[in-house]
Formats: sequence, structure tokens, C-alpha cells
Amino acid sequence: MQGQSQQQAYDRGITIFSPDGRLYQVEYAREAVKRGTASVGLRTPDGVVLAANRRVSSPLMERSSVEKIHKADDHVGVASAGHVADARQLVDLARRRAQGEQLRYGQQIGVETLTRSITDHIQEYTQTGGARPFGVALLVGGIEDGEPKLFETDPSGTDYEWQAAAIGGNRDVIQGYLEDNYHDELDVDGGIELAVSALSEPEDEVVAAEEVDVATITTDDETFSSVSVDRLESIIEEIDQEEMDE
Amino acid sequence: MSNWTQGTDPSPYEPELGSLPNGSQTGDEDTVNKTGTTTIGIATDEGVVIATDMRASLGGRFVSNKNVQKVEQIHPTAALTLVGSVGGAQSFIRTLRSEVDLYEARRGEGMNIEALATLAGNFARGGPFRAINPILGGVDDEGSHVYSIDPAGGVMEDDYTVTGSGMQLAYGLLEQEYTEDLSLEDAKSIAARAIKSAVERDTGSGNGVFLAEITDEGVEIQGHNAFDALL
Repeated sequence: MQGQSQQQAYDRGITIFSPDGRLYQVEYAREAVKRGTASVGLRTPDGVVLAANRRVSSPLMERSSVEKIHKADDHVGVASAGHVADARQLVDLARRRAQGEQLRYGQQIGVETLTRSITDHIQEYTQTGGARPFGVALLVGGIEDGEPKLFETDPSGTDYEWQAAAIGGNRDVIQGYLEDNYHDELDVDGGIELAVSALSEPEDEVVAAEEVDVATITTDDETFSSVSVDRLESIIEEIDQEEMDE
Repeated sequence: MSNWTQGTDPSPYEPELGSLPNGSQTGDEDTVNKTGTTTIGIATDEGVVIATDMRASLGGRFVSNKNVQKVEQIHPTAALTLVGSVGGAQSFIRTLRSEVDLYEARRGEGMNIEALATLAGNFARGGPFRAINPILGGVDDEGSHVYSIDPAGGVMEDDYTVTGSGMQLAYGLLEQEYTEDLSLEDAKSIAARAIKSAVERDTGSGNGVFLAEITDEGVEIQGHNAFDALL
């Protein structure tokens, strides 16, 4: 009994380490990320691709209201997995930070600098009494000094840089697919194809165009843009074709 | 930390460390040290030259110091001149230096000159530094830059610029002598001659010249009590 009540104490206080040095609330927050549908990000020499599974729980729901990919600034996009409402708070922070950089220095914020300010914020919620950590992971992608960049944030406030990464449910399966199929000579269309294939990997068939949300930020215009359903349909057709050939 | 958890962003118009004192620059004209001053910045393909005179005065009527260095390094490849209130300018320089160092330490790369000029303009506008009118000169990946920063926070880039009480005298010479293809050495000589013109006739300027040479290698500053060797 004694042991159990102690165990519970470690697990309730976010600011309390367990005797073996773990922060249970942060680990639970990572579990919350796994419960979310997956998002994928990858960089190619010509730009960054962000893709998210936007599944709806009822055919009556407007699919466009499921937002998992957000524009943070002209040159930066954010994909999320986990608690959508938590993600929105972080995206808003990122937007304010990006504009703050314009006010302070008259310049676009770097993708790494922006990611750091998000993770600094997340970290504070692992150390502040009475608060709860963010139950969301983000992929922050954009162009910095003409180069595509991709970072991940996790609920502990750590950031990682990636060539290609998956977050959310079935992450391991999708990440494995990316590891097998990613190469650094992809063009942007190839990147979109790979991202959609990767999101489809845990499923029985390739996801439908309207079930995914895809955005790119290319080095050409350094501008966030959503990929239209028409373009996605033709890319998915190609994937289907390739799978039939195999 | 409390800053963040309350959801407020740091002000883009204020320094990260320290704060801007309240109120405008007040004080008796006759008791505040001012650099009446002539300061010049010239951008060339090889780098930037900054030249300043060496006089501080009280109300422009009494020479309170004859050996003032009015150009200071504020960045690995940029320097700023002190024009106006000496206290305001010195505090401005300390603030910018710490901002530049913080930026570099956090991001692993230095601030470029445009960012530095924007930041300096924000601080000049928002703060107690109002009674200043410095020149910012620096070199970055884009090349050589010279900016003038006015007391209201106006930031203007130019190929060459002059601020201070002797500005008309110095501009007179620069308008005749400046060309786009100046070498760094030629620019130094022209800047020294322009300071000499001001030193001869402007009561707020005098006592010699400091020259700063800024290239992608860094900033070198030297003082000269006499002009002869420079002209």
C-alpha cells in the first residue's frame, strides 16, 4: 500500500522526479502523442514536405475543420500529432515569435531558432508546478538561408533535426518505411509521394486524397502552400499504379 | 520563466537584459557631456571606414574632454559612433553589445548588419537613448553597409553618411570626393580630410580623429591627434 501511494505521488506532480529519475507526466504526454493520428515530414533538396492524416470520426463532420498542418510564417509550416488544442497554442506561439523576429530584427526567423523558442516553451511546462505538459509533438519545416530544414519537438521540450520523420500513432511503422525508402535526391513531388505512402503504410490501402493534408515549402518561392486535392489524387494514382506493377 | 507561463512575449522593442529607463533625456544643456561631433561612415567594396573627431563639450561651448574615442566596436564586424549625449550613447553601445553576444551564443551565427540596424533603430526609438544620432557601419555576407540612426529611431542606409554638428562641413568635402569605386585606403584619406574640415570650423568638433576600418576580418580602430599623416 505504502509503495503504491508513493508511486502515485511521483506520477501526479509534474515537477517531481521518480526515484529512478523519470518524469512520469512527460512520459504520459508522449503516450498522448501516440494516440493521435500520424504526421510525416521530410526534406528534399528542393523543399520540405509536411503531411498529416486527417481522419474524421463521422461522415457528417467537415473534414476541413480537422487542422493538423499550420502555417507559422510565410516560410515555415508546422504539422502536429497528439492534442490538437495543445498544438494550436504552440502554433500561435510560433506565429507570434516569427512576427516578433520581424519587429525586432526586420528579418524572417530561422527554422531552428523558431523551433528552439517552441521547445523552450514546452520545457517550462515540465518544470512549472500546477501545469500540465503539452500532449503534442510537432514537425517544424521550412526554408532557412535557402536550405530546407525539418525539426521535431517532443513533450519534454527536446528538439531533433531530421531528414524525414514521423510523429503520432504508428510512428514506428511509418518511420521504418521512411528509413527504407527515403533518399536525398527526391524532388518535391517524389517527397509528397513518399510522405503519402509512408502515412498509408500502417493501412491496408493507400489513403484517399481527401484523408490527407499535405503542404510544401519549396526553395523556389520559400512560401508555405497547401497541396490541392487534385494534385494529391494524381500522385496517389501513381502510387496505386506502382503497387499494382509490383 | 513567469514571462512564458503567463503567455506574454518579450517586447521586440526592448533589450533582453536590463530595461529602458523611463522618461526622455532630460538635463541641463550645460552639465550633460555631449559630443557636438562630426562622425562619418563610408562603405566601399573592401569594407567600411568610420571617422570621428575627438572632442566632448558642455553645451558646445566648453571643451570637457579632448581625447574621446567616439567609435566603438559593437559586433565582430561592426562599429557604432557616439553622437549626442555621451551617457546615452555609451549605454546604447553596452546594450547592443550584449544583444549581439546573446544572439550569437543562442543561434551559433552572428547577427547580420541589417538586423543590427533594425534593433538599434528600435532601441533608439523606444528608449532613453533619444538624444543620440549615431552611424552604424559593418560588413556581413551581403557586403559593406553604412546606416545612420536618428534620435526618433529612423534607420537609413547609404553609401556614405555624416552625423553631428559638423555634418555640413564634412558633407561639403564628401560630395566632391566620394566615388563608387573608392578603395579602403582612399576612403580613409577622404574621411580624415572631411573630419579636418569640420574640426577647423565647427566648435563642437576638434582635437584629432579616430579612424575605424571594418572588413570581414574584424574592426580596427586607431586614434590620431594630428591629421598630417592621414591626408
